[in-house]
Amino acid sequence: MNYVELNAISHFSFLRGVSSCEELFSAAALLGHKALGITDHNTVAGLVRAMVAGDATGVRLIAGCRLDLMDGSALLVWPEDRAAWSRLTRLLTIGKKRAIPKKGEKGQCFLHWEDIAAWSDGLVAALVPDKADGAAQTALAQMRDIFGDRALLALSLRRRPGDAVRLHELNRLAQWFGLRSLATGDVLYDSPDKRMLQDVVTAIRHICTIDELGFRRERYADRHLKSLAEMERRFAEHPDAIRASADIAERCTFSLRELSYQYPDEIVMSGRTPQAALEKMTRAALTARFPGGIPGEYSALLEKELRLVAGWRFAPYFLTVNSIVAFARSQGILCQGRGSAANSIICYVLGITSIDPIKHKLLFERFLSDDRDEPPDIDVDFEHERREEVIQWIYETYGHDHAALTAVVSRYRTRGAIRDVGKALGLPEDVTGALSGQVWGWSNEGVAERQVEELGLDLNDPRLALTIELSRQLIGTPRHLSQHPGGFVLTRDRLDALVPIAPAAMEDRWVIEWEKDDLEELKIMKVDVLGLGMLGCMRRAFDLLAEHKGVRVGLEDLQKDDPAVFAMIRKADTLGTFQIESRAQMSMLPRLKPKEFYDLVIQVAIVRPGPIQGDMVHPYLRRREGKEKAEYPNPDLREVLEKTLGVPLFQEQAMKVAIVGAGFTPSEADSLRRSMATFKSTGGVSKFRDKMIEGMLKNGYERDFAERTFKQIEGFGSYGFPESHAASFAKIAYASSWMKHYHPDIFCAALLNAQPMGFYAPAQIVRDALEHGVEVRPVCINKSRWDCMIESKYPPHDFVGRGTAEGGGGAPPSALRTATSPGNPGEDRFAVRLGLRMVKGLANAHAAQILAAREQPFGSVEDAWKRSGVSVAALERIAEADGFASLGIDRRQALWRVKALGHSQLPLFAAADTREEEQEPAVPLKPMSDGREVVEDYRSLHLSLRAHPAVFIRSKLDAMEIIRCGDLRRIKDGRRIEIAGIVLIRQRPGKGNVTFLTIEDETGIANIIVWQRLFELHRRTVMSASLLKIRGTVQHEGEVIHVIAEQLADLTPMLHGIGEMPFPNRHGPADGANKGPDRRQWTVAKTVSDGSARLPTARSEPALKLKSRDFH
Amino acid sequence: MKRVASLFLPMLPIERLRRLDRNGRSEPPPDRPLVTTERQGQRVVLAAVCPLARSLGLHPGMPLTQARTLVPGLDIRPAEPEADGAALKRLALFAARHWTPFAAVDQPDGLWLDISGCAHLFGGERKLCERILRTCRRAGFSARIAVAGTPGAAHALTRFGAEDIALCPNGNEAEAIAALPPQALRIDKGAANACRRFGVDSIGELAAMPRGPLARRFGNALLLRLDQALGRSAETFDPIILREAPAAILRFLEPIFSAEAIEQVIGDLAAMLARTLEQQGLGARRVRLACDRVDGDEQSIVIGLASATRDATHLASLLRMKVEQIEPGFGIEAMQLIATRTEPLPARQVASLEDDCETEIPPLVDRIASRIGLDRIFQMGSVESDAPERSVRRSAPLAQTADWPREWPRPVRLLARPERVDKVIAELPDQPPLRFSWRGETHRIRRADGPERIYGEWWKHLSEADSVRDYFQVEDDSGARFWLFRRGDGVDPRTGDLSWYIHGVFG
Repeated sequence: MNYVELNAISHFSFLRGVSSCEELFSAAALLGHKALGITDHNTVAGLVRAMVAGDATGVRLIAGCRLDLMDGSALLVWPEDRAAWSRLTRLLTIGKKRAIPKKGEKGQCFLHWEDIAAWSDGLVAALVPDKADGAAQTALAQMRDIFGDRALLALSLRRRPGDAVRLHELNRLAQWFGLRSLATGDVLYDSPDKRMLQDVVTAIRHICTIDELGFRRERYADRHLKSLAEMERRFAEHPDAIRASADIAERCTFSLRELSYQYPDEIVMSGRTPQAALEKMTRAALTARFPGGIPGEYSALLEKELRLVAGWRFAPYFLTVNSIVAFARSQGILCQGRGSAANSIICYVLGITSIDPIKHKLLFERFLSDDRDEPPDIDVDFEHERREEVIQWIYETYGHDHAALTAVVSRYRTRGAIRDVGKALGLPEDVTGALSGQVWGWSNEGVAERQVEELGLDLNDPRLALTIELSRQLIGTPRHLSQHPGGFVLTRDRLDALVPIAPAAMEDRWVIEWEKDDLEELKIMKVDVLGLGMLGCMRRAFDLLAEHKGVRVGLEDLQKDDPAVFAMIRKADTLGTFQIESRAQMSMLPRLKPKEFYDLVIQVAIVRPGPIQGDMVHPYLRRREGKEKAEYPNPDLREVLEKTLGVPLFQEQAMKVAIVGAGFTPSEADSLRRSMATFKSTGGVSKFRDKMIEGMLKNGYERDFAERTFKQIEGFGSYGFPESHAASFAKIAYASSWMKHYHPDIFCAALLNAQPMGFYAPAQIVRDALEHGVEVRPVCINKSRWDCMIESKYPPHDFVGRGTAEGGGGAPPSALRTATSPGNPGEDRFAVRLGLRMVKGLANAHAAQILAAREQPFGSVEDAWKRSGVSVAALERIAEADGFASLGIDRRQALWRVKALGHSQLPLFAAADTREEEQEPAVPLKPMSDGREVVEDYRSLHLSLRAHPAVFIRSKLDAMEIIRCGDLRRIKDGRRIEIAGIVLIRQRPGKGNVTFLTIEDETGIANIIVWQRLFELHRRTVMSASLLKIRGTVQHEGEVIHVIAEQLADLTPMLHGIGEMPFPNRHGPADGANKGPDRRQWTVAKTVSDGSARLPTARSEPALKLKSRDFH
Repeated sequence: MKRVASLFLPMLPIERLRRLDRNGRSEPPPDRPLVTTERQGQRVVLAAVCPLARSLGLHPGMPLTQARTLVPGLDIRPAEPEADGAALKRLALFAARHWTPFAAVDQPDGLWLDISGCAHLFGGERKLCERILRTCRRAGFSARIAVAGTPGAAHALTRFGAEDIALCPNGNEAEAIAALPPQALRIDKGAANACRRFGVDSIGELAAMPRGPLARRFGNALLLRLDQALGRSAETFDPIILREAPAAILRFLEPIFSAEAIEQVIGDLAAMLARTLEQQGLGARRVRLACDRVDGDEQSIVIGLASATRDATHLASLLRMKVEQIEPGFGIEAMQLIATRTEPLPARQVASLEDDCETEIPPLVDRIASRIGLDRIFQMGSVESDAPERSVRRSAPLAQTADWPREWPRPVRLLARPERVDKVIAELPDQPPLRFSWRGETHRIRRADGPERIYGEWWKHLSEADSVRDYFQVEDDSGARFWLFRRGDGVDPRTGDLSWYIHGVFG
């Protein structure tokens, strides 16, 4: 007699179970179990984790599932073999597909007895009864009819009155039906300590507090995993029920490892084997690429890779990725591959990536070195906006039965855990809010006592202490399944015979129950179809380039390292480019001084939270600058680390160091890599510490070196980049830099059209373009298209007169340009015409309506309205953006006319209306002040071509002896200065020891560094000020200048008055008009009208709306 | 000549919260910035902001999350527009009683007062205004007030004018509000924004513009508001109505002395009050009988009712039970029966036979309550708690209660406190005892069921986090049945010390 626990749930029974599979299996191993059955409620999501945990502990997993039927009965099922498993997954798929996510039924599963009957073959099943009553009899009769001798009745002790009698009666009932009873533990958690957490989770599930939970709390006691002896003792009166458990364990030998995966067939194969097809295709592609003869090294490498691929039989995978990429290319959708296999020459010649591995000396390294049977990994980035086309094509081509998205398990992080546990324990919402507000971003560390005290909360309050403690326990617990952004699983056979499929929250999206790691474990192929904003931007840029300048290039054409482009990059003149545009990246560029492509690869990888925390940046920089020599204790390591001067920067290198240095097996190294990639669930990299350091000591390395190396690997933990990803990103970074250098006009237009993306707002993109000598023209009802476009520089006739038409009170539009443009604009430069998409609140459809009606230029506001038939509101938006200026109508007059439009609803009166318009007395409106024009520009376009807001307050700033941002260049390193500007970006990378601020005035931008201590002192100022004054020390780092802040002051109130101001030192017509006695009243009134102030003497928001971009 | 005052309470929600505390409730500390919040779609935003919070950069409409980042330790309360409205209404009622009968609530933050012809009672308009502001200040509200010939002008001046008390002579409205922004005209946000966009910064400028084009662009609402403010168009408001509590009164030609006479009058009054209540669709929860004695003294009886009623017989019988409390002295010349607390009570059909059984209980409760007091009557109901001590609760006599699930019987008699039993012989970990002795008597157990495992309710007391009790129903030789428990689960010493207790006796 040997009991086997067949009925245990993991935390994949969301908000019901609280133990991870790892915890359950290690508890089972300790308690002497030889096998453990996992039966999560209506899901098999946790079974792969369970299988891995089972392998690690030597306790065999018996895969199963608990099916909760619609009539309230519940049964446990365990597949006997592979075929039965497929029936189970198809059964679950049927139940899950009945759930309609829109009705809030996501994740539910609706099953009836008929479904069970249809898919019951090969499943061993046990009914979970309540008591021996009529319902149990009916259900047992069903069980007997459906499952025959595979039907059982599950007995569990509940520790409630009448338990023994209940079991006795149930057992008798089972006998009466000729079925066996099965002893089960009905396990909810691995150890009794989890009971509190289980109660909390139940309260969260019922969306109530623990006090209100009452009888909805788990009623039956003793739900932890018990030892074999204890279970046998408890069921001493039902020995056959114990024996039955052993019999089922013997019978259900199915292992998930048996799941064999078939790659989908591809059309290109046409009778050939996949390998033959791949060989033919790649050789042909290589020949096509080098019409004048293939260089030997290319063909050698290709043949080598093909041999490897043949060995591992990965050819179908490459073919599938190739089909997807080929489709995208046929539709003109830009794409770029990355991932372990993406550095292969196979991918290069097939056009999956545009990185030439020979030219850039990238080897198929991870792929080559691993002697493991793991599918290669290629992620393909597509243009963000057009990715959906690719996804739909995949569904159409492979079919909904063969293609579905990978799942992502949403797990509790600190914030969510605090919020939910706090709510369950009845803490007031603002306390939990304040607690989770203390947590930056996606922390998994829980809330520290110190943070609680800072909030002025009393840690001795038992509920608060419990919340902190239990929320820490809850972190990492799965909350629900959601969809992976683009990870597709494609199969030749039905996918739902492999794993259940459920509808996703998005319509027409289907998600399997397993996530990335699970698929890797089972060696199931996944193709990542991801969206990347910059690719969309580059495609737009390439299109514009071809259209206007007749230059046809693509990503793959930009192979040669252009020194001019690198010179620009070294100057950190990279605003708007991919990856290397962030503050942290920019500040590193002048130090790293990239000269060639691989330098960019390093640059992209090194300025990441991981390497920064792992303290790899400075050693690398010192070595690169020649201040320090790279140390290689032996030639093996030199080979691994030489490219990065002895500092492990990439995941591949970390693995190799572990293999070469510490004698890890490749699969151990792989779990090291995996622990770097996933969070929490595996306990991080640290558990490899001893093994790694011991291994290195044994291989003759010094302890100091070993520890340092491990610290570096540990440091970049979950943030580390694989080299191939870095290379792929570097490629796009280079391409975007190339575009910016040679065609700043096109780059500006494309970038504006691809918004929102990247670090910078349109205002900065436009400003940067102006500084590079690009002319930017305003939104115009007669010239603008929806997108920002390129206009040839000289011809437009109307443009000559524009200065006067538009200049009613405004500055000459070229004021900025003449101030800052470099002397030598390129001959082929075009002007950028801002598109209607820039106009806040204007719908694309309305703009299209206007454009469709614009054969002839519109002559007036009324003309535009009548001919386009567009809504008045849409024209109002354009008027607000000063889009009628080219008609000689200023913003106020245009708006005045637009406002009059809406009031003739009946066409009958249209004629009469026209007359009325003509007859309408002219109403003089005060012209806007210069400041107001700028304020309105910002309000409706988020940028102004007239002037920078700081212009208006410069005299005041001068009086405060505040220097201009543009003057920083001339100020010596180490000098104390005061500087002020509008806050563009706030960024707190990594752990938030430092906050980067970017401020801007009319002369340029300045980079401010605020260290943590100062930040804490001025938290509010830093986080909220629109206009900030900084006192600090200037620090030159090559071309990049920082100001290390010592004191901060909020000057935001100075912005309030800008709306009333004329340009300084200029007498405009607005000057007199605004000197009325009511001026002070005006601002006051404005705030009141916002509903924001009840006391008329108080102000609220600044009149100038400036939105910074904040990154954590 | 019409004179209208507009009273403006800019900080009403904040000051109302702060005011509560003086009545002894939990105090929002004055040195902590206080804000109220409301839900706007998916976001929670600030609704009202105290001056301190405002000085820290918070303003209404700001998302709460942002406010929290800016000001740690912010005191955050939910906005209670109903409570604010109720406070305004109370103030309006006060105004109607004390200053002018024509007072009305001006939602959400002010009052209208028509003071035509009554200012002189207070020594002139300025004196009256000062008095009103003083009263508000005493009540804890900062306020501003303006008086003009039109409501519109008064409203604009009180909210946008420069002074806390503004008196605008009739006919002077146009001049007085000319410098104020168009927003002061009670126009919607869209119109106000449009005015600003057109560069129309003041009411004066607006009034000078041609009406036709204005009407085309703004519709008639703007012009109407303008005309109302300038007195070109009339505007009225509905004054608040003071409502008296339903009452019945009888005066006597000859003073009455005897208990019989008083009881007779009580019957008449109850019938009168019942009719009044019925007309208003109300039922009484508390009534007061006031008797005016010849010597000017007042005698009164108050009775509370378990549920709302307007049953005259019932009311009368309850009052009559207390009639001896009335001291007639030299005689009573008038008696008044006032329903001091009422609740809506819809009309009901004549009770059917089944209904009768239900309706029997509330009068019974009232009758008992009038003798021993309502607070001394209770019923027992079960609570969804496994801890036996917490599974029953007293509740109001007519409240709804839940039943305990039948499958898990509890003893008929639960001891007030579990009592230690000794000489227990039981096998660990989960076998029932074979023998125990309680109060000096030894019981040999013949039959037993258990254990029923009951965990401590850790969320009530942290000390219960680990505690476990295993309960057994046992029957001894004599057939007596007991409810015993052992502290601890018999395995883990943290769960209890394995001592035995008796907690109840079965019938």
